[in-house]
Amino acid sequence: MQTAEIEKDAEALLLARYAAGDAAAARVLAAQVTPRIFAHACRVLGDQAEAEDVTQDALVRLWRIAPAWRSGEAKVSTWLYRVVANLCTDRLRRRGSVGLEDVAEPADPAPSAEQAMQQAARFDALQAALNRLPDRQRQAVVLRHIDGLTNPQIAEVLEIGIEAVESLTARGKRALTAALNGQREALGFENEETG
Amino acid sequence: MNGDTLDSLFAEARAHPPALPDALMARVLEDAQRLQPAVPRSGWIGWLRALGGGPGIGGLVMATCVGFWLGVAPPAVMPDLAGELLNIQTETSPETGGDLTAFGWDIEEGSVDG
Repeated sequence: MQTAEIEKDAEALLLARYAAGDAAAARVLAAQVTPRIFAHACRVLGDQAEAEDVTQDALVRLWRIAPAWRSGEAKVSTWLYRVVANLCTDRLRRRGSVGLEDVAEPADPAPSAEQAMQQAARFDALQAALNRLPDRQRQAVVLRHIDGLTNPQIAEVLEIGIEAVESLTARGKRALTAALNGQREALGFENEETG
Repeated sequence: MNGDTLDSLFAEARAHPPALPDALMARVLEDAQRLQPAVPRSGWIGWLRALGGGPGIGGLVMATCVGFWLGVAPPAVMPDLAGELLNIQTETSPETGGDLTAFGWDIEEGSVDG
């Protein structure tokens, strides 16, 4: 069995223990999955407050479904990503077209002075470019290139075919490259040869 | 900007995820506690609950007593299975049988020979 599969089975086991009354299992499971889905929601929504709401909502659904959870049917993290993706889609649809200036900047950890500013500038530029992508492209790119999911996993999360995932991520990457092209200096890539 | 640069940006973003607010984690754990299913009781209390609690146990006791009494003294309309199993021969005469098996339901004033 692959390490990732063991980890995911461990998540299902923790959920079963929670359903059986083990409060500590909920703490361990929450510590494992909450940072991941919160980070995903932050990247997709570009708004920390909304990402917090979506994360809490998704986990409430997980706690509620725990007694009826059947391990063989879905992986806990894949199921959670799917719930978060749907909640994000709902919010993005409700939001309609929002100007980039209205989208809050994501909270970034800060190392030190100039380096931190440069890094923050890169994070902001990446987030701004992500925000410009169509919703599905953005979700697919974040799931693939930041969350590190495989294409079949993304297909399961977004409930689309693998070819559609490949198409979304490829178009998303091209759009990001184009959007970031004019900011090489600001991003600290001024010495890079044009690709 | 080329693909490698974008990949390094992704890697940097992956390495520095947004910090998870403590308040959010606290709310998540609060929800987990609030929504946790009731712990199933173990031991004899669990058995009692499985049998239907007080009313269930009361019904079981009543059914057991009635069954026992029917076994000891079956009414005339029922076969005496216990007697047959234990090979106890009983003779019932029309004169005395009613006294032993019919709970006196057939005794009416003036119907019993003195």
